[in-house]
Amino acid sequence: MKRSFVLGTLIVLALTAGTYCSKSGNDGGDKDSGYDKEAMLTNYADQIILPAYTSLQEKVNSFQALANTFLDTRNTTNQQALLDAYKQLHLQYARVEAYNFGPAAAAALDVYVNFNGGLDYNFNTNGELTGFSIDSTTIESNISSGNYNLSLYVRSSFYAQGFAAINYIFFGTNAIAKFDNNTTNRVKYAKDIVTRLKTLVDKVNSDWTAYRTDFISNTKTNVGSPIGNMINNLAYSLDVLKGPRIGWPFGKQSNGIVFPTKVEAYFAGNSSALAQESIRSLKKIFTGNGSGKGITDYLKSLKKEDLANQVTAQFDAVITKLEAVPDPLSATLTAQPAKVEEAYKEIQKLLTLIKTDVASATGVQITFMDNDGD
Amino acid sequence: MMVINRQAWEKPVSIAPLITFRIAFGLLMFFSTLRFWWRGWVDTVYVSPSFHFTYWGFDWVQPLGKPGMYLIFSIIALSALMIAAGLFYRLAAVLFFICFTYVELIDVTTYLNHYYFISLVAFLMIWLPASRLYSIDVLLKPGSKRQYVPAWTVGVLRFQIAVVYFFAGLAKLNTDWLINAQPMKTWLPAKSHIPFVGEWLYKEWVAYLFSWFGAVYDLFIVFFLLNKRTRIWAYCFVLIFHIATAIFFPGIGLFPYVMIVSSLIFFSGTFHERLLSLLPAKKMSDGLSATYTFTRKKWLYGIMIVYVFLQCIIPFRFLLYPDLLFWNEEGYRFSWRVMLMEKAGAAYFTVKDKTGKQYYEVNNAEFLTPLQEKMMSTQPDMILKYAHFLANTYEKRGIAQPQVFGEVYVTLNGAGSRLFIDSSVNLAAQSFSWKHYNWILPYKTKK
Repeated sequence: MKRSFVLGTLIVLALTAGTYCSKSGNDGGDKDSGYDKEAMLTNYADQIILPAYTSLQEKVNSFQALANTFLDTRNTTNQQALLDAYKQLHLQYARVEAYNFGPAAAAALDVYVNFNGGLDYNFNTNGELTGFSIDSTTIESNISSGNYNLSLYVRSSFYAQGFAAINYIFFGTNAIAKFDNNTTNRVKYAKDIVTRLKTLVDKVNSDWTAYRTDFISNTKTNVGSPIGNMINNLAYSLDVLKGPRIGWPFGKQSNGIVFPTKVEAYFAGNSSALAQESIRSLKKIFTGNGSGKGITDYLKSLKKEDLANQVTAQFDAVITKLEAVPDPLSATLTAQPAKVEEAYKEIQKLLTLIKTDVASATGVQITFMDNDGD
Repeated sequence: MMVINRQAWEKPVSIAPLITFRIAFGLLMFFSTLRFWWRGWVDTVYVSPSFHFTYWGFDWVQPLGKPGMYLIFSIIALSALMIAAGLFYRLAAVLFFICFTYVELIDVTTYLNHYYFISLVAFLMIWLPASRLYSIDVLLKPGSKRQYVPAWTVGVLRFQIAVVYFFAGLAKLNTDWLINAQPMKTWLPAKSHIPFVGEWLYKEWVAYLFSWFGAVYDLFIVFFLLNKRTRIWAYCFVLIFHIATAIFFPGIGLFPYVMIVSSLIFFSGTFHERLLSLLPAKKMSDGLSATYTFTRKKWLYGIMIVYVFLQCIIPFRFLLYPDLLFWNEEGYRFSWRVMLMEKAGAAYFTVKDKTGKQYYEVNNAEFLTPLQEKMMSTQPDMILKYAHFLANTYEKRGIAQPQVFGEVYVTLNGAGSRLFIDSSVNLAAQSFSWKHYNWILPYKTKK
């Protein structure tokens, strides 16, 4: 009896395997024949990530040159030229911020360059700096004491440098006039935060040369793997967009109380443009920039074409709605709340798709912990 | 499943299988605790989170803070070593069981079937005379040596392993697993980096092969392990199956090794005697060929009968609930459902005051770790627990009689994400219950 049972089982197994073998054969092998993840990652590294970092480095360099010009001759013409360069620089940063893994994570680029207050921090904490706040108090005290260490890994240090500090020092209210007071220290601080930015960007850039090899050869999907990192950072960037960038200053966490000064790049006043650039670059990551070697194509190879199309369409919906939100965002939050609300809703839909369907389909994990099936 | 025949039950058999089991289990638990510690999980799971998903009725089980948790893990590691060495065995087994189970009860987030298995086995070990040979205890007290034990002491461990496999197999008999090869079809292509077989993992028939082989293996392996003639081959399958699982799904952790080691219990007394004779421990094994006899038999047999009965019915409790088990997960835990589904969710909560005029969207990351948020997003009882926690928290922040609403989306086995619970229900007003939660939306409703 036992023997016949074994035989039976084997027959069932063989039949099943056989049926599906021939079925996949009939479907036309391509569908089943796998996907070259290394080619996909090579495409990401060489066509998308590395050029974006190179461009960021160039923009930091030209920003630094113009900053020095401004600091030598402080007038509105030079300030305006610097502001244009700054906007280009920050927009370029929006194109790399989703690569917050590998060299960028090691350098803590995101917190030192463009601190968003942390997703795990209560935005409504009274009297505390949250979101993209500008910490004029710490910055001014750093300037007057001349005693500061920008490498410290603490919130007050994050808020005292990067784009928020650049906004305040170069483009804040009466920015030029403030240089008349304690000029030496103020100029030094201004130069120091620009140099700090440049040092970080240079480091990430040069580290990517070595990291590239690891990046393209690791086709796993666990935590810390390139594919896992890209998907998890898509979700993370959308969380930032939904929270600190749009939703929280809009009052989503605070019963509709708006925080106009907590928007990104408050003084430069291009928060919405930054949000748009951020979502466009996320779409570029998701689709591999239409190269045929993107996450969308990987999903298609897994017979998830509908999902790939659905998510791409949702990216477009978010882009359209964000483009309808005019700058300065700080004013739009109260002037045209309906437009912000619409964009917010579409962002949440996109975030949901990435966190559920896309994460599921690609088998990406979010934590190292043992797991015996969800 | 088991013949309850008192004479067969009490028949003296070699103590050797129990001894091997004790040593292997103790060592494995020791290394498993070190691994957990080494990876920093004591901190990330039991120290840093500000909120824990306690089990319903076990809200009093709370973590002990950093020094306390490290002390507990030290006790677990030490008692595991004492179990392996057979030093103050009963005390060690009790300590291990209490400390390990305490840790598991702190947070539902980290529930794993093999942690449950370890708790159960540790409970059984308390009662078993597994240190009556090859132990420091018998060196200290040579008169306590025993060569034979009642058959049921080995049998109950075999039963426990049989329960794990058999129910794991039964759980695989569902449409998604057998007909759609889900979630294998989703998981395997993500493993294409594995040498040699990687390219094959995109092929559908491979997913079917994995699914069907897994189901057949789980359902029948115990019968082949029990049969003397097939045992050695069956154990080869145990090795192949679990090593493959460890390679393909490293995220599963120690489960494969737990099963590989535990399944040794099916081998005969003679086999284990030969195995143990390899140990350089003559002093610990020589002696009279005495049989261990239990005092207070009636009492103990009572416990064991209740235990066996509960083990047989608990996995079936899902039958008492409506709709799809994988969707509502009512009766899902403690039932040996391992690697059965791919589920992911996104949960957004809004707190409103009693008038509904004030509203506050919740930032989950403020309260939960990424792992907690992930687990909560797909499991209704955790959603409810979290909603109650939110109501408390926001009440402290000054909102009178807060109402909590959840907009939760879940995808199951590759089917498109859809609303999981009724987002118009005030979760703060829903109570915990053994009954079905009516606020879970039926699976069929497409969004």
